[in-house]
Amino acid sequence: MNAKTNPNARPIIDVRGVWKRFGTVDVLKGIDLAIRKSEVTCIIGPSGSGKSTLLRCIAFLEEYSEGEIYIEGELLGFALEGGRRRRVSDAEVARVRRNIGFVFQQFNLWPHMTALENVAMPLKLARGIPREDATKRARAMLDKVGLTNRAEAYPSQLSGGQQQRVGIARALAMEPHIMLFDEPTSALDPELVGEVLQVMRDLASEGMTMAVVTHEMGFAAQVADTVVFIDHGVIAASGSPEQVFRREENPRLRQFLQNYFERNVFWQTTDEVPAP
Amino acid sequence: MFNTAIIVKSLPMLLEASVWTVVYSLTSVAIGFCIGTLMCAAGLSQSRPMRALAAFYVSFFRGVPLLVQLLISYYCLPLIGVNVPSSVAAVGTLALCTGAYIAEILRGGFLGIPAGLIEAARMVGLNRVQILTRIEVPMAVRFTLPSLVNETTMMVKASSLISVVGVLELTRLAQNIATSTFQPLEIYLTAGAIYFLINGAITLAGDFAESRFRVEKAR
Amino acid sequence: MSFNPAILTDNWREILDGMLLTILIWVVGTALGLVIGLVVAIVQLFTNRWFAAPLTFYVALMRGTPFLIQLFVIYYGGPFFGLDLTPLVAGVAGLALYGGAYFSEIFRAGFLSVPVGQIEAARMMGISRLAIVRHVQLPQMLVIILPALANMTVLLSKETAVLSVITVNELTSVIQSIGSTTFAFAETLLFLALVYWAFLEIVTAAARRLEKRVGRFMLRTQG
Repeated sequence: MNAKTNPNARPIIDVRGVWKRFGTVDVLKGIDLAIRKSEVTCIIGPSGSGKSTLLRCIAFLEEYSEGEIYIEGELLGFALEGGRRRRVSDAEVARVRRNIGFVFQQFNLWPHMTALENVAMPLKLARGIPREDATKRARAMLDKVGLTNRAEAYPSQLSGGQQQRVGIARALAMEPHIMLFDEPTSALDPELVGEVLQVMRDLASEGMTMAVVTHEMGFAAQVADTVVFIDHGVIAASGSPEQVFRREENPRLRQFLQNYFERNVFWQTTDEVPAP
Repeated sequence: MFNTAIIVKSLPMLLEASVWTVVYSLTSVAIGFCIGTLMCAAGLSQSRPMRALAAFYVSFFRGVPLLVQLLISYYCLPLIGVNVPSSVAAVGTLALCTGAYIAEILRGGFLGIPAGLIEAARMVGLNRVQILTRIEVPMAVRFTLPSLVNETTMMVKASSLISVVGVLELTRLAQNIATSTFQPLEIYLTAGAIYFLINGAITLAGDFAESRFRVEKAR
Repeated sequence: MSFNPAILTDNWREILDGMLLTILIWVVGTALGLVIGLVVAIVQLFTNRWFAAPLTFYVALMRGTPFLIQLFVIYYGGPFFGLDLTPLVAGVAGLALYGGAYFSEIFRAGFLSVPVGQIEAARMMGISRLAIVRHVQLPQMLVIILPALANMTVLLSKETAVLSVITVNELTSVIQSIGSTTFAFAETLLFLALVYWAFLEIVTAAARRLEKRVGRFMLRTQG
């Protein structure tokens, strides 16, 4: 959609040989992935494949066990000292990832604050922006996601789709250089998925750099510059949507896509719709 | 100087007295459990006077400090012609007090059983008594076991108060030794350690019982 | 057996003083206990185990031993450490330390009751650990743990009676000495029970009302 990438530019996110272990289970087994400015990368794969874990590692919500993740050139979460890595302080982690916005599957809005407060509070606390300016910017962000009239509502008074749009506004307000979306529509009722995807489409067309873990193949096909298929903790296929969805031969990918289509096609093909 | 010799010397006596602490507190919990069961049943019954009785009982024995209850039974029972040994009066008072707490614990246990489970039992044809003995009681015991174990440790601690009405148990003996040897810190710390160990043992036993139920749950 | 209520009216001044002292001990002990409990919970949850382990031991100790023994250790054992406390100070300190252990457990459970995702969201916004506690966790958990806090506060009001054993002149102590000088045990002790009972019922009812009001607030925000 927005193919404007210079392959030589320094990636915003650079994942190199990342492993993640939970106890004795290897969830990620040597992931290499670069995400460049204004690129939209969609990460697909079966549940349990490690795709959400990868995104959480990039946000350092999980500590990765091996490898390196660079955010705009800075190593995330660790410092290298004579070949060994040392966990840096939480404040240092916060500094390196200050330009990452994260949107959660379960929204994770703070239930005791209104939509407006959810967006404004971090601006005040984390950025030290004065109350009035923070509120003004928060309102602008809610406008942007189409929630001008719901600013004073508490999360429980909003539909899932509205809550997720607040979640997006909250992340956007921090003026991130990249937005990470962790299955942003998976917790939504089907009829509410569209409004959230539309906000994400708009963001993509404005040139926002995005990494999206998703089950929405239509969105991936239309919006992504790169589609990454993760299976059993490795990147089993990646490339343009055209390449991954049509040409890639990987049997696991074909099986995954086959399952997806069988779940989602409710009429055999349009050809067989009887003529009126 | 911290006098360890006095601890070593008085330890056998303190341990012997702690047997009485265990006997008094476990006896009162056992009696209290019976009282609590009756009061719980009264509280959940259809009869209004029964519910009122249960509410009054629970409110009074939870609303008045145990020490005051003990003082009343110690000083006032003889006034109405009841002459029992002070240890019996004290254990009776402990039992009445813990009974009120146990009644509330059991009530919570019964009310916490999801209605759907009872409905399911009814739909497969169990009768009222079967539902009570096969479904409700076993579930209520599982729900309330941690609270009941906790209540038991509370009673072990509360039993120290019966020293005030002259019953010989761990605290009373510790007081006697402390005042005669002028080494209160050593003696009271030792007594505290013994209470701590008794309660630790009770908690461990409770955890063991609970873990057995948990195996069942995991299946 | 005769019943002579005049014994109470004759000594109303001492009784009133005893009541006021009981309330004072309760309020100060509870307030200090809440502070101790919150600090202990925060240190246990948010610092490393070298700080947390001694506090865990403190909590286990206070919960595993009788309050009376704790008072004896502080009051009679204090001089060993050069702490020659008056009965009142020892009693209030004991109540605060005892209550603090229980309060810390309540606060701890409260902190853990706030869903992890909300804290992750705050961390992703770059909000500091302390600000997360203050703005995300405390406002939500206080509502959740309010019943438990109220319950413990009510329990502590009953524990104040135990301070009579280390000769603090609170209500139980005053009434007991009136009883033993006049031998009017029935009048004095039943009165004492009634006072505590009424007091606890009032405090409990007040706590319920507070919970309801907070519950309504919750309904508005979460409803």
